[in-house]
Amino acid sequence: MNAWKIAWFEYRRRIRSKWFIIGTFGMPILILGISLGTGYMAGSGAGIETKNFGMIDETGFYGGQLSLVLDQRFADKEVPPFNIAVSNGSFESLQTQFDELVNDKTLDGYFVIPHDFMSNPVMRNYSQSSSTFRSTDLIESELKELLIKQKANSLQLSEEVLGEIFFDVNVAHFDIGSSEERETEELIADYIAPFIFMFLLFLGIFTGGQLLLRAVLEERSSRVIEVLLSTVSYNELMGGKILGLGLLGLTQSAIYLIGAFFAGSYYDLSIITPAIGLLYFTYFILGYLLYAGIYIGVGALFDSEQEAQQAIQIITFIAIIPMVLWTMVIENPNSNLVNILSYIPLVTPFFMMIKIAVGETSIFQILTTIIVMIISVYGSIRLAAKVFRTGILLYGKRVTLPEIYRWIRA
Amino acid sequence: MIEIKGISKSYDSIKAVAQLDMTIQPGRIYGFLGPNGAGKTTAIRMLMNIIIPDEGNILFEGKDQRPPSNQVGYLPEERGLYQKISVFETLQYFAHLRSVPHPNEKIKAYLQRFDLGSRLQSKVSELSKGNQQKLQFINTILHDPQYIVLDEPFSGLDPVNQLLLKEILEEMKQAGKTIIFSSHQMDQVEKLCDDVALINQGQLVTAGKLKTIMQSEGVQRLQVTPVNENDLSHECFSAFNSDRTNGSVFIEIDGQSKQDIIATLNKSMDLKSVKVAEPGLEEIFIHLVQGSQS
Repeated sequence: MNAWKIAWFEYRRRIRSKWFIIGTFGMPILILGISLGTGYMAGSGAGIETKNFGMIDETGFYGGQLSLVLDQRFADKEVPPFNIAVSNGSFESLQTQFDELVNDKTLDGYFVIPHDFMSNPVMRNYSQSSSTFRSTDLIESELKELLIKQKANSLQLSEEVLGEIFFDVNVAHFDIGSSEERETEELIADYIAPFIFMFLLFLGIFTGGQLLLRAVLEERSSRVIEVLLSTVSYNELMGGKILGLGLLGLTQSAIYLIGAFFAGSYYDLSIITPAIGLLYFTYFILGYLLYAGIYIGVGALFDSEQEAQQAIQIITFIAIIPMVLWTMVIENPNSNLVNILSYIPLVTPFFMMIKIAVGETSIFQILTTIIVMIISVYGSIRLAAKVFRTGILLYGKRVTLPEIYRWIRA
Repeated sequence: MIEIKGISKSYDSIKAVAQLDMTIQPGRIYGFLGPNGAGKTTAIRMLMNIIIPDEGNILFEGKDQRPPSNQVGYLPEERGLYQKISVFETLQYFAHLRSVPHPNEKIKAYLQRFDLGSRLQSKVSELSKGNQQKLQFINTILHDPQYIVLDEPFSGLDPVNQLLLKEILEEMKQAGKTIIFSSHQMDQVEKLCDDVALINQGQLVTAGKLKTIMQSEGVQRLQVTPVNENDLSHECFSAFNSDRTNGSVFIEIDGQSKQDIIATLNKSMDLKSVKVAEPGLEEIFIHLVQGSQS
């Protein structure tokens, strides 16, 4: 009963806090803003600096042609990614002059199209840094096209024949049993949705965990803990906190999922099914409880938030692994590596959420990972209770690992 | 009645409390004294069931069972308050935890009595140190507990509020509550307590009725005031264990009779007054602590 009272107190005071409201509603807006902002910036050329390249053209042909093609390509760009100044002549005669231009920063680098380019298509690039590396991709592909056209001319192939040889291949996507072609938006949504589920899970679990850590530190540093422990038992206090802040995380997740459901419905995309929703909450609860044990245990050991955050960093790094590997998991959901990672409790909920959303998992895997999580949660909460009971009143004492080991064994 | 029987607690190799025995009678105010680091807070935490003794037990009304949380009020030495919530929410939360029926009226009445009525919606962090101590005290007694444990309750309070606190403690004593408090303010202990216990280095030095302890443990002294102020430094005082304070000389009565001391002094000077000075609790405290250490 007391655990519920504590849970309600924690839930009520946090859900009304302006930081929770800002965090819950601000985070998706921030992510959306960053996505749209970076998209806009990439499109507008903001942040791009025009590079100046030189080109020594020993053929006296390709350089000029390339320059014309690139001028057309960059015509609609406010800031073209690069300019090319072409000089016809031999490398030997122009090398010193071009090297000086690079050394005094007039040029960022220069290219050399050798005289035998048609038979041996290797263009050379001279520069002082690797910042020109990415620009060569575009130059390569444009030159390749020019070379093909030139070769086609030499073979006296007409434009029609060229059109017959070079064409794009497209893939039309269908659902099994459906004759209706899937739209690109739908395909993108299917690709992104697993990441969104995993990210929301991550956000919910770590919001609750961080609040738990702060709540324990607050009560420890203000000595409220002593008044509370004279009123309720350790287990009631710990249980109440975990419950209250877990409910807060669930509320946050529910807000996000409902938002995602309505957003999906608006665009006629069915990214949330009842099964996904149910499994999402199952993995959320298990993941949260696992991390709650860790956070509460760490909170009971330190006097300041700074020290506690440093201690928890290693765990956070492990939890970030799925965020780094998500594209790999979406594309290879049943690879050996992904299957092994799915059974590591600290990251199980995140990997499983991706696999479930992709639709590439089995009932067996879901059940076994849930069992692994239940065992891990039991261990985490049990250990946390031992550390909490002993460590919470040791103010100002730096606890050593052998001491923690002794508490756990006691 | 609370009976503490042979409780001990160690932290690694440090023995914080060793074989402590105390009996606290109901309806009395019990002073729990000791120098810094004596083990008072550890003993209080064991009494409050916050930490478990390594050995020994604590009986409440003869039972080795903790009383319900709404029967116990505890004021820790340092402020045990949430800083970011309001005064009203703080008291409401703890009242709720202790199942106080209709707490709002009581909260408002106590806040009025402690002159905090206008601070109902203020955040705790906005209150002064003294007001936070008052709030903490209200939180300790709001649920009308039978056992009240106060660790340095007068700390941070001005004389007016110290008087108010004393008044309330007296009222609670009249109502049959058992009050235990630790303090370094010996004048407050002397004025309020019926019984005291002194611990040092985790062990009990003495315990019993305050009056009995003051009579039995205090060193009696004669307060001698010469007619002539110059006689305050007379060499005849060097024959006694004495010290000079505010125009008088205090001589320890140590094995000699009062009459012998007075007769010796009369040979050397004219005496304006001679009286027996009763020892203060502070003096007894220092004497006993030093005695227990040696």
